[in-house]
Amino acid sequence: MNEWLVILGAGVVTFLTRASFIVFADPHRFPHAFRVALAFVPASVLAAIVIPGLAMPHGTVDLTLANPRWLAGVVAVVVAMRVKNPLAAIVAGMAALWGLQALAG
Amino acid sequence: MLSNRQSPNARSEFLAGCRDIAPVLVGTVPFGFVAGVAAVGAGMTPVQGIALSLIAFSGIAQLVVAQLVAAQSPAIVTLAAVLVVSLRFLMYSAALSPHLAHLPKRWRVPLAYLMTDQGFAMGTQHYGKAGDRHHRHWHLLGMGLTLYLVWQAAVVAGAIAGAQVPASWSLDFVVTLSFLVLLVPALRSRADLAAATVAGAVALVAAGLPYKLALVVASLAGIGAGVAVERGHRR
Repeated sequence: MNEWLVILGAGVVTFLTRASFIVFADPHRFPHAFRVALAFVPASVLAAIVIPGLAMPHGTVDLTLANPRWLAGVVAVVVAMRVKNPLAAIVAGMAALWGLQALAG
Repeated sequence: MLSNRQSPNARSEFLAGCRDIAPVLVGTVPFGFVAGVAAVGAGMTPVQGIALSLIAFSGIAQLVVAQLVAAQSPAIVTLAAVLVVSLRFLMYSAALSPHLAHLPKRWRVPLAYLMTDQGFAMGTQHYGKAGDRHHRHWHLLGMGLTLYLVWQAAVVAGAIAGAQVPASWSLDFVVTLSFLVLLVPALRSRADLAAATVAGAVALVAAGLPYKLALVVASLAGIGAGVAVERGHRR
């Protein structure tokens, strides 16, 4: 019962946040400063998701060679900067992770 | 080549959207699979895990629900956490809305429902290109529908196959990588780089905050840093 309440509630919350400005607001009335700030949303939000995923795989920051995730992340960044296809960087990152894990045995 | 460049129509924009999102699907499939596995692993039935995905259509929200259901958190706490991780949709929605404001509600409601991190990142790229913008919402629709169908198929597979995949495969790393490939092309200026650096650093420092608040605090700090660098640059 509790699960179904959470499932429906999660649907309402995700839809209302997505629909907020697209469905309910008039963007022509946004102040200029707000538009400038919006330009930095993708870089900020994505970095806030990606960096902890690379640097703290188990809840604490680990930038030693014992953590293969940030090394694999560096490989993926280098590939993503050179090759336009996102697929190449994902494959390279996973291959690097598996390779490093195999090396660490 | 130039002779082929007619104005794109609805059909060609839709198909281009389906095509443009295709490389990202390599990340979507394992991410959806992980979300399906996580739901069942948290104690939801496969039907509940799939229903959550069909209704909420958000990988991060689905992972948060799974984490908190597994921890037997009260519904209100779980929904507060979903709200916090969904605040980025507010920002995406605000950034995309000027492009969609001319459309009727029967377009804006489904496009909002189908909006994802991937769709937003690639959609704003596409709207930024020169040329005829008349049918670009069809591009968003093509990306959104393709991503929706592939995502749901992957979640169903994960919810049914359950925990058969060994942890040593580190499939969860695909989640990080699929956001990394969106981040790299979003870094076009020094101000973007400052925003990402500050957001990443704050996310690490604030990681101890409850209910995934670190994501919101770090994002706001990053936005502030980007704005500050942009202003300093103009002077």
